[in-house]
Amino acid sequence: MKRLAVAMCAAWLLAAQCALAEPAVTVRALDLKAQPASDAKTVVSLPVQSAVDVVTRQGAWVQLKSGRSTGWAKLFDIRLAGSGDAAPAKKNGTGIADTLGLAMGNRGSSVTTGVRGLDADMLKAATPNATEYAKLASYARSKEQASAFARAGNLKSREVSLLGGQTENATGAKK
Amino acid sequence: MIRMRTSMAARLGWYFSIAGLALLTAACGTPGPTQPATGSDVARSVLGNFSLGGINVGAAASAASHAQDAFREIPQDEEIAMGRDIAAGLLGAAPLAKSADQETYVNNVGRWLALHSGRPDLPWHFGILDADTVNAFATPGGNVFISRGLLVRVHGESELAGILAHEISHVVLKHHLTDIQKNAQKNMALDLAAVKGGGLAGEAARAVARVGLEGLVRGLSREDELAADQMGVVIAARAGYEPYGLVSVLQSLAAMPQDDAALGFFLKTHPSTADRLAALETEMPISFESYAVANPALARYTRVFPLPRNK
Repeated sequence: MKRLAVAMCAAWLLAAQCALAEPAVTVRALDLKAQPASDAKTVVSLPVQSAVDVVTRQGAWVQLKSGRSTGWAKLFDIRLAGSGDAAPAKKNGTGIADTLGLAMGNRGSSVTTGVRGLDADMLKAATPNATEYAKLASYARSKEQASAFARAGNLKSREVSLLGGQTENATGAKK
Repeated sequence: MIRMRTSMAARLGWYFSIAGLALLTAACGTPGPTQPATGSDVARSVLGNFSLGGINVGAAASAASHAQDAFREIPQDEEIAMGRDIAAGLLGAAPLAKSADQETYVNNVGRWLALHSGRPDLPWHFGILDADTVNAFATPGGNVFISRGLLVRVHGESELAGILAHEISHVVLKHHLTDIQKNAQKNMALDLAAVKGGGLAGEAARAVARVGLEGLVRGLSREDELAADQMGVVIAARAGYEPYGLVSVLQSLAAMPQDDAALGFFLKTHPSTADRLAALETEMPISFESYAVANPALARYTRVFPLPRNK
């Protein structure tokens, strides 16, 4: 069933955010709010470790479903339950991508694991690949191209100060 | 060819400085006019490669003048040349993914973010590595990589921006560059041996790549990783993304079985995801909530990247 739900969800994705609920757990006692705002009306109070479903996300807030109640909580107030909590660990690292039938692995390898790794040993053994670097460089975007992309996505620059006394670059930072 | 030639002088500058350091070390250990084989052989072979032979680099005085280079501010052109070599090394371990549309998309998001960083004018390159494991990397000078295995766990442009902005911050704060300098002496002991018998063109580049890749294997300090998180969320917010994209990604990774093979290397080289989330919760001010926007540009994202992957 879940498989079907995922497949259907994938099919409708272009419309809006996928509404497939993700199981999560509250990490502290909290009030579900009617709107994503601290001063909004409380829908219901939940104790720590409550099982909930994430309906959608909006910035710092997540919309949660708890039984018949739906309301908003802070993103940091939950942790996603994940397959690791209920099911045995999947070792192949492809997870749901398999379910969606995405092409994974088996590329240029006769090994049947189907997973293309990248680990410490591979990095240590690597020899530079200038051809791939040239390809990497060929995809670079100019300031103008990136700005046009941002405009098309309705992204607007904002003035935001750095946090925690950080400086804009390494000059003056501790070594 | 990829403008390797123009970078040669810069690379040689860096390379020479670490070679010089090794020479000094060798000279101190064995006083007297006879040069220890390692240092001088290497220096000759390297210099010979680049037609600068005949310089008596064996002189301890000359080596001494380079010793302090391990602590100098590396000029930007040298940083870029080094980062290029290390990036080429990384691509030797995992090539780029095959989709030009996806690579272009990631470069658009990345370059837009970088324009809101303290180093907007670097030659920024962004790449998707063809690997199923979860990871992202940066090399000095503006090369940023995300693995396909991490990308398939991303739910939209804000989450992608969160990851790229974290890596951009490593470059801006010169974390890898500083780390390489700190470890240069130790690394060169290994690399001198490798270079010694070589004398082939590109050997210096390989040595630099090796030093850099060692750094990626070692991983950065917890302090550096948390600093990149802290700066990354600000860069994302400046670029118009909701700054909680990184938080969402980290939550998704925290929900994976932590012994999943796809996470192994990532978790060895990063603080625990729970640790990072706790730090972000403390650092991200309430004012960031006003930057919340409905997942921007979701439609265009899903046109290029098959969407997740919900649990």
